[in-house]
Amino acid sequence: MTADRKSRMRAMLEPIRASARFEKKTLAQQVLTYVVSFCILLLIWQIASMVINAMSHNELLPGPYRALSQVVKNAAELRRHFAASALRLVAAIATALFVAVPLGLVVGRERLLDRFLSPMLYITYPIPQVALILVLFIIFGAGNVTMVAMVALVLVFQILMSARGAAKNLDEDHITSVVSAGASRWQVYRHVVLPATIPDILTSLRVSIGLGVAFLYIAETTIMSNGLGFYIKKHMLFARDLAFAGIITLAVLGLILYLAIDALEHILCRWKHVRRKP
Amino acid sequence: MIEVASLTIEYGRADRMIRAVEGVDFSLEAGRSLALIGPSGCGKTSVLFALAGLLTPGAGAVRIGGTPVSGPRRDVALILQNAGLLPWKTVWQNANLSLVLHGDYPARDAGAILDSLGLGTVRTRYPAELSEGMKRRVGIARALSTSPEVMLMDEPLASLDTLTRERIQDLFLTLWRRYRFSLVLVTHDIEEAAFLGQEIIVLTERPAQIKSVVANPEMGDRRYRESEAFRRVATQLREALQA
Repeated sequence: MTADRKSRMRAMLEPIRASARFEKKTLAQQVLTYVVSFCILLLIWQIASMVINAMSHNELLPGPYRALSQVVKNAAELRRHFAASALRLVAAIATALFVAVPLGLVVGRERLLDRFLSPMLYITYPIPQVALILVLFIIFGAGNVTMVAMVALVLVFQILMSARGAAKNLDEDHITSVVSAGASRWQVYRHVVLPATIPDILTSLRVSIGLGVAFLYIAETTIMSNGLGFYIKKHMLFARDLAFAGIITLAVLGLILYLAIDALEHILCRWKHVRRKP
Repeated sequence: MIEVASLTIEYGRADRMIRAVEGVDFSLEAGRSLALIGPSGCGKTSVLFALAGLLTPGAGAVRIGGTPVSGPRRDVALILQNAGLLPWKTVWQNANLSLVLHGDYPARDAGAILDSLGLGTVRTRYPAELSEGMKRRVGIARALSTSPEVMLMDEPLASLDTLTRERIQDLFLTLWRRYRFSLVLVTHDIEEAAFLGQEIIVLTERPAQIKSVVANPEMGDRRYRESEAFRRVATQLREALQA
């Protein structure tokens, strides 16, 4: 194995390694957990496929072996669609964090702003964001900007509500502690509000990833000519094993994002994972 | 010198006004110590927060060094009940926080103070990894880092076991004598007030008013706890609180 390949492998394993450190497991134990879970999932899939296909006398649900072989056979094409979807999802997450975190924290801490903005949030939050896809389409046209805006819109609400709630429920002793030491308003945000709310923000991001992937899928099947959503829809009717190869790839994308968030939490919230003094 | 004149503190709006403190007067010469003692919830912390510039009095005046207190000041340090440490900052970051906020760090840091308090080896630890006694010492290090003229303490040793509490009381005493800051301690612990206060003000139930003032001129030594004078002051305080 070349040094370059080794370092790439190390980089790929880092999120799992970091995740293992949180749970005080060795890397081998953590990888084993993932492998066992994956095998159980494949087994359930295989059984479901056999039952459904036997009942329908048709090849309705391809088994895992066929789908996985298609992943290998169509690796190049899947990689292209994976890259397109991943880029959109990461851009949407970054946009959502950039908008929702500062706004949520400020609304959570500043009473006057909260009084005016919270009713707006409560009115707009229940509107299904998917209903706005056409509006975004009219504004931005059919392209990546619409995709990113669509998914970001979904994530923004989740993260904003979570950041707002976390900022509201801060331990006031921490605020008193830094204010009495002479902190300005900005310093209170920098030293208390932001670091104290990061765990909640990351949890909401973790919960929102599934929703983000689902909306990305819907948006890609609607207006895009690339991306995993487009690939899955294209093959769902007549080459279902290819469609399931796309679904597996989409699941891998979600898994990578979850592991990345775990690793990020490990870096940003090291204090949450220290060995506590009894 | 600390001067508190006719201090009244109220919370809430006009229709639901709660008066926490009413007409409290006292003064404290620079370098002396004062303990405020009273029943839980009587308003003693409100008095302390007014001294720290965290509360604006409804009436009366608070002056430190001749200037009115209108907000937190660099020459006044406050130690809270749980030491006020930020769990996401290491011991080093917590101890240097005041210096960072004032823009003095890294030109000045709390390294020497941490070392003198026996915390040199735990600089990279987080508060969750420390014992309660160590946490209080980090809080003290932070308060001392800006070399304050006035040290305010809000029940700083609550929830500690007796031995740790006494050890940290001894430390407070040593530091007070070494650095000669004015010390104002809020507590509901009679022994703590008698050990650390040269003067002890007993407050009434809410709204806090001065019930009595007990002089404690013999304090200032670690062995004072075992003395007859200490027991006499403690008895006096107990009777004043019960009256």
